[in-house]
Amino acid sequence: MPGGVCGVDLAHRVLAHISVGRGPEAVVVDAAARRAFVACSRSNTVVAVDLDRRRTAWRSPVGREPIPVIFDLPTRRLFTADARTDTVTVVDADSGTRLAQVPVGVYPAGLGHHPGLRRVFSGDTAAGTVTALDADHMRVIGIVPAELGAGSIAVDISRDRGYCANFMSASVTVFDAATLRPLDRIAVPEGPCKVVVDPVSDRLYVAGSLHGTIARISLRTGENLGELAVERAPVGMCVSPDGRWLYVCNRGAGTVSVLDTLRGTESHRIAVGNGPGDCALDPVTGRLLVSNAGSGTLTIVDRPWLPGPSARALHPMVGRSLPEFALPDLRTGRIRTTREWAEKKYVINFFASW
Amino acid sequence: MINVWESVDAATEARNFAAVWGLDGTVLLDETGEYAAQLGIHGVPTNVFVDANGVVRTMGATRPDELNTAVDALLRQS
Repeated sequence: MPGGVCGVDLAHRVLAHISVGRGPEAVVVDAAARRAFVACSRSNTVVAVDLDRRRTAWRSPVGREPIPVIFDLPTRRLFTADARTDTVTVVDADSGTRLAQVPVGVYPAGLGHHPGLRRVFSGDTAAGTVTALDADHMRVIGIVPAELGAGSIAVDISRDRGYCANFMSASVTVFDAATLRPLDRIAVPEGPCKVVVDPVSDRLYVAGSLHGTIARISLRTGENLGELAVERAPVGMCVSPDGRWLYVCNRGAGTVSVLDTLRGTESHRIAVGNGPGDCALDPVTGRLLVSNAGSGTLTIVDRPWLPGPSARALHPMVGRSLPEFALPDLRTGRIRTTREWAEKKYVINFFASW
Repeated sequence: MINVWESVDAATEARNFAAVWGLDGTVLLDETGEYAAQLGIHGVPTNVFVDANGVVRTMGATRPDELNTAVDALLRQS
């Protein structure tokens, strides 16, 4: 039929890039209230975003450098781990009112949640510990030894087990979420940055940021079932409710890799904002929400499981002259230009401290 | 090295980062991200390999194996 009036759009679509604040690192969704909550690490705030109107509803100050955020549905509370104040801040999800600030271990950079046991866990990076908090009474109830770089935490609620990724130790600490006893240590590829439990496939996914891989671990046996390659520096992940699609934020590429878990392959990539840190799914619409630390935005992707335009195999700059720069030197303040490196071979490493 | 997208107090953040990780080389500041945008860079870390003619030969390449391959290729070029 001319005009394709019966045509079906079989591609994902980026619907919006919403400005949320500086350094948005993580996002969580309250489906019933149609809100997303974003931890903005450089604004020291948690921001509520109205998902229907696609605008900010409120901002609440928390501690310094909040990295993860979780939502406790029974109490309608948000918890952020504030890396530079060594605290977990508790905020009322409806009003944005700050309810408590609880001291935890040094440099908390990850949070886990067991709603049934009413517990929240913080991964204390510099302390190498997991601090357990009572979600109702907002107080510390115990500490689990982990390893240096303890951060992201996932919980297998069917077995009451917690999994803490130890970034600097290339390991995952397994602990009993009820008794707070350490149970096991799983060796994983270097730089584990994020762990996610998929109850459908009974697997733990571990993002290895240094080698650009996702490890698949059997929750039943602890066996490593193999790794899948993604793009540069995977640091955030979420899995679809049916377990079919794993969405991986590639911090180094500004993309999300969509992994088909049944086929064990990368299906496609989605271009999002700069330096994506983490992602979450809106269970009502199936849309993917991505917090982009570099561009200060929340990207909303409709039907993210569908492929889109093919990415170019080569970066468009390859084979072209490097644009000239004139940038200040960190140590001297002097302006340095491309001319200083003329007729030399060199490598420029672009980096951020986060 | 070029520091980008710090959002707040880039010089202090980059200085602390360099100290923690023992980075002694030249560090430049691209606070607004304007230069990264010119290069079409959307994430960190990203490596840009430039030959003696000022031409970009490789972009990305942060995994150890990719890094070694790109450095070898750059050194081989006359």
